[in-house]
Amino acid sequence: MNTKKLSAAFVIRHLLLAVFLLLTLYPLFWLSLCAFRSEGDALQRPLGLPAQWTLANLREVLHSGNFAQAYLNSLLVCVVAVLICITCATMAAYAFARFNFRGKNWLYMLFLLGLMIPVHVTLIPLNQLLGADMLRLKGGLAALIGPYAGFGLPVSILILRRAFEALPAELLDAAALDGCSNLQVFWHVGLPLAKPALNTVLIFNFLTMWNEYAFALTLLGPGRQTVPLAISEFKGEFDLRITVVCAALLLVMIPLICVYACAQKQIIRGLTAGAIK
Amino acid sequence: MNLFKSHAKNYSFQDLGIFLLPAFTIYALFVLAPVFLSFRNSFYYWDSPLSEARFCALQNFRLLFRDPVFWSALRHNFFLLFGSLLFQLPLALGLALLLNYPTWGRGFLRTAFFTPMIIPSSATAVLWQYIYEPQSGLLSALIRIFRPDFAYAWLSSPGSSLFWIFISISWQYIGFHTVLFMAGLSSIPEELYEAARLDGASEWQICRRIVLPCIRPTLGVSATLSIIGSLKYFDLVYLMGGGLPDSSREVLATYIYRLAFDENQGRYGYGSSAAVLLFILALIIVIPLQARKNQV
Repeated sequence: MNTKKLSAAFVIRHLLLAVFLLLTLYPLFWLSLCAFRSEGDALQRPLGLPAQWTLANLREVLHSGNFAQAYLNSLLVCVVAVLICITCATMAAYAFARFNFRGKNWLYMLFLLGLMIPVHVTLIPLNQLLGADMLRLKGGLAALIGPYAGFGLPVSILILRRAFEALPAELLDAAALDGCSNLQVFWHVGLPLAKPALNTVLIFNFLTMWNEYAFALTLLGPGRQTVPLAISEFKGEFDLRITVVCAALLLVMIPLICVYACAQKQIIRGLTAGAIK
Repeated sequence: MNLFKSHAKNYSFQDLGIFLLPAFTIYALFVLAPVFLSFRNSFYYWDSPLSEARFCALQNFRLLFRDPVFWSALRHNFFLLFGSLLFQLPLALGLALLLNYPTWGRGFLRTAFFTPMIIPSSATAVLWQYIYEPQSGLLSALIRIFRPDFAYAWLSSPGSSLFWIFISISWQYIGFHTVLFMAGLSSIPEELYEAARLDGASEWQICRRIVLPCIRPTLGVSATLSIIGSLKYFDLVYLMGGGLPDSSREVLATYIYRLAFDENQGRYGYGSSAAVLLFILALIIVIPLQARKNQV
């Protein structure tokens, strides 16, 4: 009796989960099929398998879009911005974790304030600032690096500070007693031990920057695109041709999904790491 | 020895500079300075990028409070806020609770639910625009199975389009909150459940008396993230709301953007004052939450 009742609950539970799984994945599946349909097929019978599989859509995207360039741009911006952000964040986090200086809490709160600042508050001034005489970055890819690095700092410092604080202080003190300067302790002892947190921060920043839209939309000049911008502009251009746009979406998502499939644990940990109590 | 050590100063002034200055410079230049400039701009009449800005004290704010689009944008933000608190979070919590029992393919389900989070939101927007396509979109096509000749312009009716956009935002974020809740649930020790079952507690009682109190911190984090997130939400609303009349398609962030950067607009001063209000609103709502959390 008991097992029977249990198994009913078991079945219902799995059914509910299956429904939600379908809701999550079916749109993506539908889009992938759409990328291989002929155009008439997509308009007349958008459900089910394609009447005839075709690669024409993918070929057209490769010929007409400049996704290759957008990929390069995104990669360049993200790599540079992530490197700058992480270097600065690790050092600052180390100082917050190890040194007791005056005004430390205030400075830390100032950094954490960044978690609450909507990026859109900064769009107008950044547009001014980056075009100003001193920087002259307006419109170029380099314009994105500063804002990306700057807005990546709060979460990174938060995560890394906790990681450094969790290290046994005796270990770091011992290295200092042996005559290492703080920079040496940081580099030879602190950093290697904080590697898991570094990975988390790296993934978090890279994915957020890779998918970022508002800054790219505002700060890049005409003709310059990152991947998210390229998608929306491609849609604008080929609006009525569902199959071609779906093929473009598929091309953009395949690499992400592959990476995600390989490193799901790290990626999930990375993207949820900002949500610490 | 230990006492002595904890009082020792283990850094020099120079160290502070080396470790903190790079981060602080970047942060000050690209985050703090723009926020400061936004505040400054909000007191200026500045209607095109080419013209000179003129000080006008609180005029911008006065106009803003009489601007119907601003109020509707604010209303839409609160719609997103309550929507995410009352729809996304309970649903995510439900999923996490279901997954908290022994489940087939638990790891796979977790990974699958989280997938929408790794897709760029501009891609999500395009995908959902096609799902909502009146004729050949997925949703209309599915409904046509039961009702032939069905067609509906999901995204271009002013009254309900924001609701459909909200559905696609939920598609993005429910998995994220599910993962957070799963992490919270997994930190509850197994003994608690066992003890409760031995005492004859029903599943419902266990849920109310043990699970919910134990994951209150996680609930707080999720709620805070949702609140901040829906106040500054931009991407899908901007990308999917294109064809609608002004007052029915804006949230604060998109309104700021359009005021300043849309063609023929360039209203930097006015846009900045809206931005300042957005920032202050975020602070007013979030700081008490944080303060309460620190007390508990």
